[in-house]
Amino acid sequence: MTTTTAHRNTELRLGLLSVGITAFGYVLVQLPDKSDIPADLWFFVSIFVGIYVVAHMAVRQFAPYADPSLLPLAAFLNGIGFVTISRLDPDLARTQVGWMAAGVGAFVATLVAVRRVRTLERFRYSFLLLGLLALLMPLIPGIGKTINGARLWVGIGPINFQPGEAAKVLLVIFFAAYLVDKRELLATGTRRLGRLVLPDPKYLGPLLLCWAVSILVMVQQKDLGSSLLFFAVFGAMLYAATERAAYLIAAFVLFVGGAGIAYNLFDHVRDRVSTWIDPWVVAQGKGFQVVQSWFAFGTGGASGTGFGRGNPQLIPNAPTDFVFSAIGEELGLFGTVAILAAILLFVGSGFRIALQADRPFPKLFAAGLTTIIGVQTFVIIGGVTRVIPLTGITLPFISYGGSSLVANFVILGLLLRISDENAQVRGASRGRRASPGMIA
Amino acid sequence: MRLLGEALSQTALDVLKYAFLALLFLFLARVMRVVILELRTPVLAGATQGAAPATAGRSAKPGARLRIVEPAARKGETYPLNEELTVGRGGGCGVVIPDDQFVSTVHARLFRRGSDLFVEDLGSRNGTFVNGQQIQAATRLKRGDRVQFGETVGEVLR
Repeated sequence: MTTTTAHRNTELRLGLLSVGITAFGYVLVQLPDKSDIPADLWFFVSIFVGIYVVAHMAVRQFAPYADPSLLPLAAFLNGIGFVTISRLDPDLARTQVGWMAAGVGAFVATLVAVRRVRTLERFRYSFLLLGLLALLMPLIPGIGKTINGARLWVGIGPINFQPGEAAKVLLVIFFAAYLVDKRELLATGTRRLGRLVLPDPKYLGPLLLCWAVSILVMVQQKDLGSSLLFFAVFGAMLYAATERAAYLIAAFVLFVGGAGIAYNLFDHVRDRVSTWIDPWVVAQGKGFQVVQSWFAFGTGGASGTGFGRGNPQLIPNAPTDFVFSAIGEELGLFGTVAILAAILLFVGSGFRIALQADRPFPKLFAAGLTTIIGVQTFVIIGGVTRVIPLTGITLPFISYGGSSLVANFVILGLLLRISDENAQVRGASRGRRASPGMIA
Repeated sequence: MRLLGEALSQTALDVLKYAFLALLFLFLARVMRVVILELRTPVLAGATQGAAPATAGRSAKPGARLRIVEPAARKGETYPLNEELTVGRGGGCGVVIPDDQFVSTVHARLFRRGSDLFVEDLGSRNGTFVNGQQIQAATRLKRGDRVQFGETVGEVLR
């Protein structure tokens, strides 16, 4: 079919452009120091190209009708992230290539294993169980590990990973499936409480329980970014399923209440808020990273210092939480706007896929997955630019971080699967009508 | 000399920096174009799904058909005109015209209101013509009318 190959060829063209941009950036990073093209460039470029050729061929094979813009956008973000990381810490960059390969492996596995989104809907309670288990794993003595003050790691042998990243996707599957079943019951109130009409607690119960458990676990693990993410994603999905703005207000009220309690109970929450309000009084202490982040943006100005010509390594945690500030220093406002625009296009495509889905489960599922990417971007970019208090979380596809990269690739694979199904459903429903009466 | 060389290389690096930034936005513009093209393809699923089962059960008025008269390669192909018939290059259309480059993915639709037959352009790039006149809105068709999409022409029979 012509539209199929047209879509895939578009994807290939855009993908080649983003791979080319990555290679160009990689050359630029090396120029100021050595002023000749590095010898390992072609080795690196071939690995990067190889990884995305595999991903592209997998889409051609397993999701031929899928949206053509998502994979190139992921490659674009991933490539700029990679160049920035290799500029900050070459050792991390090498590990990151390994994680990219693992991520694309997970991406292909997702496309192969999930041939129909409906299959996921059937195993909703298994996914709930797996998701909660993944959330609790770091608390298990022996395999749980505390790194940088947050207990969200699991170490098995030499590999450390964050099961919470997998939990995001698993719980969104459960939420989407559960909400599809119960959305009518949740949208209409039966219990009266003063002037409020509430839905039956029987149907609200599992949601609140799941919500509370994930938030408690997150707070216990001192991972504020993820608990904020869970709140936002579940609130948005409840709203999308029921079309009741009341759920948004309720989620907001719950969030403000939870934040207030956390503020009073935990020192690290108070620290985050006070360094947000005024980082300068603690510029050499707790506010150091936020202040350095601001300096980075200021140094960068409109067009940045250029790759390899700034000092973004002065920002603490530059490859992970503060990667956006590092990009801000070397590529300036233009570069950061390009990153934001790319993520916006990704999120826009995700929501377009949700809108095009004609069955409720894929619709809600796509909306939930897209919200993860969008909210995560807002939380971390808002944090490093001091729009909101800083909470450590990765910038999708850009930050260094294996678990998060693999999870993002799984999200990408699922979105492409839904998009492919949408196109097939549309084609089939029209084809069916045309064929019976056709007099050829 | 060294200073001059230094200044030159700084300028060269600045030029490369701007070239890189320009490339970033070139990529985004390309993606934008793809997204806009995607959006221009109308999502007919919602609009047509409801009508589909109804037509399947009820027997449509016999007789009304669209017969291809041009190009010669497809001459004589006939499609029944029931509640709705979409025409376009896309695989999901009722009449698929994959080899006509002047036809949009979903180009036009022919539909029935009561006993009348209409044709409506669906935002195609090159327009839809009835008896050589480009149509601006849904246009009623009578027997023998010639409807043109790109280089493909069909005749209404009833």
